[in-house]
Amino acid sequence: MGLAKKILFFGLFFISFSSYSHNPEKLVISEIERGQLNFENETIAAEYGAALKRQRIRRLSAMSWSKKMYIFIKAGFEHIIPEGIDHILFVLGLFFSTLKLRSLILQVTAFTFAHSITLALAALGFVKLQLSVVEPLIFLSIVWVAVENTLFEKTTKWRPFVVFSFGLLHGLGFATLLTQYGLPKDNFISLLLAFNVGVEFGQLSVLLMAFILVRIIFMKTKYKNQLKIPASVLIGLTGLYWFIESLI
Amino acid sequence: MKKLILISGLILMISCQEKSKLDPNVNPFFQDWTTPYEVPPFMDIKNEDYMPAFKKGMEENLAEIEVIIKNAEAPTFANTIEELERTGKLLSKVQRVFSNLASSNTNPKLQELQRELSPMLSAHYDKIVLNEDLFNRVEEIWNNRENTDLTKEQQKLLKDTRKQFVRSGALLNDSQKKQITEINSKLSELSTEFGQNLLAETNGFELILNKSDLDGLSDAVVSAASEAASQKMDQAESEEEKEKYKDKYVFTPHRTSMYPFLTESTRRDLREELYNSYVMRGDNGNETDNNDIAAQMAKLRAERANIMGHKTHADFILEENMLKTPDEVYDLLIQLWKPALKRAKVEVADMQAVADLEGKDFKIAAWDWWHYSEKVRKEKYDLDEAAIRPYLSLDNVIQGVFNTTNKLWGLNFREIFDIDSYHPDARIWEVTDKDGSHLAIFIGDYFTRSNKRGGAWMSSFKGQSNLDGRQRPIVVNVCNFPAPVGDNPSLLSFENAITLFHEFGHAMHGILTDVTYGSMAGTSGPRDFIELPSQLLEHWVSEPEVLKSFATHYETGETIPDELIEKLLKAGKFNQGFINTEYLAASLLDMDWHTMSEVDAQKISNNFEKNSMNKIGLIDEIAPRYRSTYFAHIFSGGYSSGYYSYVHAAVLDSDAFEAFKEVGNVFDPELSSKLRKEIYEKGSTEEAMDLYVNFRGRKPIIEPLLKIRGLDGSSD
Repeated sequence: MGLAKKILFFGLFFISFSSYSHNPEKLVISEIERGQLNFENETIAAEYGAALKRQRIRRLSAMSWSKKMYIFIKAGFEHIIPEGIDHILFVLGLFFSTLKLRSLILQVTAFTFAHSITLALAALGFVKLQLSVVEPLIFLSIVWVAVENTLFEKTTKWRPFVVFSFGLLHGLGFATLLTQYGLPKDNFISLLLAFNVGVEFGQLSVLLMAFILVRIIFMKTKYKNQLKIPASVLIGLTGLYWFIESLI
Repeated sequence: MKKLILISGLILMISCQEKSKLDPNVNPFFQDWTTPYEVPPFMDIKNEDYMPAFKKGMEENLAEIEVIIKNAEAPTFANTIEELERTGKLLSKVQRVFSNLASSNTNPKLQELQRELSPMLSAHYDKIVLNEDLFNRVEEIWNNRENTDLTKEQQKLLKDTRKQFVRSGALLNDSQKKQITEINSKLSELSTEFGQNLLAETNGFELILNKSDLDGLSDAVVSAASEAASQKMDQAESEEEKEKYKDKYVFTPHRTSMYPFLTESTRRDLREELYNSYVMRGDNGNETDNNDIAAQMAKLRAERANIMGHKTHADFILEENMLKTPDEVYDLLIQLWKPALKRAKVEVADMQAVADLEGKDFKIAAWDWWHYSEKVRKEKYDLDEAAIRPYLSLDNVIQGVFNTTNKLWGLNFREIFDIDSYHPDARIWEVTDKDGSHLAIFIGDYFTRSNKRGGAWMSSFKGQSNLDGRQRPIVVNVCNFPAPVGDNPSLLSFENAITLFHEFGHAMHGILTDVTYGSMAGTSGPRDFIELPSQLLEHWVSEPEVLKSFATHYETGETIPDELIEKLLKAGKFNQGFINTEYLAASLLDMDWHTMSEVDAQKISNNFEKNSMNKIGLIDEIAPRYRSTYFAHIFSGGYSSGYYSYVHAAVLDSDAFEAFKEVGNVFDPELSSKLRKEIYEKGSTEEAMDLYVNFRGRKPIIEPLLKIRGLDGSSD
């Protein structure tokens, strides 16, 4: 084969050691390719990050299917509880908007359906958006839901559609993280689903806890006036604060 | 920021490595490594740990030597030679980690340490090898060897140990010793200067082009040149200098910049300019001229050889090699030279025909070679590199080399995830033998990155030895393959795949080795032999049977088509006249520089290289692979009188592989096991030529090599 190239490649790189080597020449590492080394921290960090991702994917590929599923379901769940405080607030925003179970289920379903779509699309690489764009918009969606809760007595009939479009946005948020993290190709769909299932569990747990708490504590008071407005104001202000913070 | 928490949560779950149980307050080199298979606890080792460990390692080493010398008993193989094998454990422990990481995952601190350590270490080893009391003990055992009952391996160890002392001047008188020390230190200064000059000369020339000068260049080459110009702009200190590079394109005599230009550019004048800048490096009569340094070094080497009792430097060097005398080396080179030169002349004629057909009115010159050979290649050996890559994903090729060694020797590989490596791209495998027993740890670090040296190499983090119980090695391969883009797999060129097999061949030498004494393990043999195990393994990657077993398209899963394999193998014969001629010319030049007697060396003329090349009839269209003034291998590396090694090993590997061809089965069980037992397991426990003959049943012949390279007349 190409002898010339080989000499270039292998040059003097052969490093040979011996445990007691009396011969100093054997310890010299001579490089025939005295190329420039680059010690720029940013480049090295970027390369390291990419390598870590490759390593995680290799590790995952070597795991059993059930272990992988477990890890992704758990990751999806943890993305809501305890780490996804922004998503928790959004879901609580939906919770406080209505007393009717039917309306709540409708909204949550729309939200879930929407974020599943964008999560899948983005993870498959069809849609791409920077986290720096998606994140402030997610915070704004929290503000919007809170404002709507505060200003309107009843949810509008457009509400499920608004929630649906916000859901698309939140899905992109999930996806940016998931792609940064990396999904192994061979189990792509099932792991994506697993992550999504985890997210749904997380969401439902938030709703369930909220429901139980509200029921126990405020059983006898008139729920709407006592809680809807102040909770929504609080949620809205938090969202607003995050939004401003994310822009700075 | 909180988004990162999710990622870290997931990472933790997936990485769950075992934490090392080292005491964080104590230097990790001073503790026993309880990691699985004693893989170095990379995450615990900090830059600051090296120097103290080196110092203590050297101290301990000297103390151990002292104990051996002070032993009141008469010197025996066991209390001296074998004890020597046991010395320097701490030093070796730190040195292996340091030397590897300083090349494969380095940082400014390690680079600085390397400069600091190099003189310290050579002074340290001098103390041992120039220790008279120690040598006297060795000599006594040597003189008594006929009356001692030693195994073959022990005899060889005794011989090698003694030789190291002798070759460092142990048999000389004091004034001679002083002379040697002076010569060595002058040589080391000169060789550093040679290297620095070469670097300055290579960086000293730039071809700065305008947009209108880019005729023929592909987009990739243009953008690389434009990138080079903008880098120069960033580095420029004055506005004036910045202006010089603005909107320009820069090419340099670095091969990675020059070769694409010479291949693609249709501007003959510019090709000539760049090519000449390359071949004139160190030969410009300026303050970075290397002519005088080369001559001085040749003189000093001849002088040293004389003091050591050898006729020439080449005799002195070759004493340790498989080919023992300059005559043997010249013999080999000249045998190959004739068919190579003949083939090169055919190639010139082929290129001239293309130029004539284009209506060009010039004679093909050295700077036209790349451009016109590419045209011939397209016409005669039409092979699209890009069509092959999809079949050669890195994982496929790794699987291919694993399968090959599995079929040859029954080895199995299991990737390990619960041990921390020094970089997430450095993957760790456990290698087990056919009976399931642990054989070695293999680390494969394949992607290029900015803090890794260029090139490809094999090394080890732990050696093999059976002296005090069975100790199995930790072997590493480092390459510079392109890292994958995004989520796509890394796709290799066929050349890359060959490199991977080559390095893995070295790794096999380090992994299969099974010797008693660590200093004779694995790749410790002579330079013109150690490329045999690596180059030999390359032959399997070109076997259609093997290629088909792993080369499947990364998207479609389709196996590589026969037609593509055929083209691929045919392309291997392309340009071989040129490649071999330039290489052999450099090898002969190396030998000429180092077969001068001390008297001849006093009157080296300025025409030394020219005369040397005229003597063998090198044609004007080809320059030696390295001209003297930039022949770093021999003037600032360790390859003086050794550049021929590559082709010598090629003779061996072609002849050895021919054995498999003769029986018509590249996995013939009997031959495979013989190969393992006689070559890969033996290290340097016997003379290299004996090992070869044990395997092949006879001495090597050059015909198989000529056939493989198309130099047997079949491609004309």
